[in-house]
Amino acid sequence: MITPGFTDPLFLEGAVRILFVFVLVTAALVISVRNLASLLTTYTVQSLLLTLIAGLLYLIEGSPVLLAISVLTLVSKVLLIPFFINRVEAKIKISRDMKFNYLEPTSSLLVSIGLVLLVYVFLSGFVGELALGRLFFFGAVIGLSLTLMGMLVMFSRRKVITKVLGYLTMENGVLLFGIFVTELPFIIEVLIVIDLIIIVLLTTIFAVGMDSTIEEYRQKLQRLHIWPGREYL
Amino acid sequence: MNPGLNFSLTPGFTPMNLIYMYAGLGFALLVLVLLSKSHKLMNCLSITHSCVYLGLTLYALLKIPVPYVWSSYFYIDHLSLYEALITAVSFLFASLYARGYVESLMETRELHRKNLKIFYAAFNLLLITATIAVFLDNLALFWIFTELTTVCAAVLVAILSARENIDAALKYIFIVSGAMLFAFIGLIFLFALSMQAPGTEGTLNWTLLVKNAAFFSPKLLSVSFVFIFIGFAAKSGVAPFHTWLPDAYKKAPSVSAILSGLMQNLGMYGLIRVYAIVRQTEAAAAISWLLIFFGVFSIVIAVFNMLSQKNLKCLIGFSSVEHMGLLLIGIGAGTKAALFWVLFYTLAHSFTKEALLFAAGILHRQYRSNRVERITEAFRLQPLASWTLVLSSAAILGLPPFPMFPAKLFILLEAARLSQPLVFVLLLLLVLAAASFGKFLIEALSRRTPEGREQAPSPALPENTLQPYVVRPGMKIPMVVMLGLVFSLGVFFPESLENLLNSIVYELGYI
Repeated sequence: MITPGFTDPLFLEGAVRILFVFVLVTAALVISVRNLASLLTTYTVQSLLLTLIAGLLYLIEGSPVLLAISVLTLVSKVLLIPFFINRVEAKIKISRDMKFNYLEPTSSLLVSIGLVLLVYVFLSGFVGELALGRLFFFGAVIGLSLTLMGMLVMFSRRKVITKVLGYLTMENGVLLFGIFVTELPFIIEVLIVIDLIIIVLLTTIFAVGMDSTIEEYRQKLQRLHIWPGREYL
Repeated sequence: MNPGLNFSLTPGFTPMNLIYMYAGLGFALLVLVLLSKSHKLMNCLSITHSCVYLGLTLYALLKIPVPYVWSSYFYIDHLSLYEALITAVSFLFASLYARGYVESLMETRELHRKNLKIFYAAFNLLLITATIAVFLDNLALFWIFTELTTVCAAVLVAILSARENIDAALKYIFIVSGAMLFAFIGLIFLFALSMQAPGTEGTLNWTLLVKNAAFFSPKLLSVSFVFIFIGFAAKSGVAPFHTWLPDAYKKAPSVSAILSGLMQNLGMYGLIRVYAIVRQTEAAAAISWLLIFFGVFSIVIAVFNMLSQKNLKCLIGFSSVEHMGLLLIGIGAGTKAALFWVLFYTLAHSFTKEALLFAAGILHRQYRSNRVERITEAFRLQPLASWTLVLSSAAILGLPPFPMFPAKLFILLEAARLSQPLVFVLLLLLVLAAASFGKFLIEALSRRTPEGREQAPSPALPENTLQPYVVRPGMKIPMVVMLGLVFSLGVFFPESLENLLNSIVYELGYI
């Protein structure tokens, strides 16, 4: 049972604000961490934070869609996707992504601070028209910033798995932005998650291919039980 | 729009049945493809699939009264049927061509026989998703189907499972899907905006958005459009989001290149729809200039990449970036006539590029390369493909009597109303594009056997280097028929097509 103290909106809003900070910390880690296993953990933690934020928002707003989003995020992004990527990471035997394109982590972090400020200024221009409260405005800022930081990861990292995690971070940003700006129909959220899972499956399978010769690739796919393969004439 | 009336007009075959049949027959054929054991059968099923879709679309165009809204998810109007028609025809020719082409890929061990089923599954799934996508009223659903087409097309690009193919496919997915996430942010804005109309709940249904556009705040609508633009521009290969496109064209087999190229139309379709919403508000002027700016930018980037291009498929890829730029200018011009020709341009461009890629595919089979320096004695070895290449290049550059000529001419004339200097710059760029095609063709097609080889055939050189590759009739016929179709569209503009295009323009609110 939830005690009355926990349902106090002020307390809940404070909790959401603290979670915002944690989300930004995970985004910074996704940009800078080199070890693939830690990257995946970071992403899982980030998704868990989103689950909590959606859950807390449900307590504040009482809209069942938010609760559904929270559960959906928990199942898909905290459990399913990390499990699959973990399996693939175990197969491809790269544990670290050392190489960076264009931007080193330090400069990436500086750029992302700039991005957060830019998003803040940009969205301030529309806060009146969107009729958002303070908390919701901050949620939108964090969401959009997270999307841009995910994009930065996709740009600046070389390994496919890291790029996938960048894409997933972007998508987390879109989810966060979505729940704070407006309330999309739940069916759309479900479809996006399905789309996300398909893309993750496909890109990680390709990642196995990038890491091996064609013959090894077929063998690895067979070992992963993804595509048994038969010859057709 | 009266659903009841529609029922009584065509008893037994309502628009709803149309959607059911697209989905039902499509998936039934997909399952049959998955169950079939031979290449011949898979190919025949794919041809049947395209024929069925073509038949359904033609029947719907002739018999079903549109526009028709169904159950807040689907919307059928002339534009969606027109896009479905282009898709079906292009897929039909591609599936005919695929039989010989894919067989040849397997003979040379470029495509593993184990991957054949994946190829045809992705092919058929792409046709289903690309067709259903254009009948969706809800923009978020359209977004998701567009994403699915990206996934299927990426599988087709990666099908050879060589590292460079996979690399191209990954680039395709990451750039397009990443950009499409921004489009989704745009849709979230649009959803929030839709609540501004009195008495409406939030909606992403295009029909409602168009109806209520006048109530939306222009500023927020512009922001929403800019985000949506990023996604659809990446999908259609508009610069600076085009970087996936030359790679996908260059490294994918011809059939895959045709299909991923065809998906560019879907991005443009999305832009046309969303622009129709914006066009009714004060935001229209600013957004028009945004489209024109990116259009010109695409043409500049494409032309300068084409000038020194040594790879035939890359050249075709950049040329399609150029055409997307011109389409954007046409949409941005925002007039009735401009939209009319944009639509016609889409049709002409899709067919012409398909003929061009058919020819490039045959030349690739002959020389095992798309590089200009590898092409020798093309007219002796592959006369038909060479002539098709020359003629379809002329067509894609917009020389009369090919259909791209009037399309380009009238789009430029409409653009001239906005700014004459712009049109002069564009003409100059188009001349440069023509020059780069000309340079490539002269260099590639006029080359004789490298010196010294004729006098003393060295044992180091494979003896069969200059033996003609035997082109299967299944590859020649679609190529020639497609070129014939393009030519006939240029010399004869059917009245039914004119009526169709006029109804699309009218339905999009260009009065």
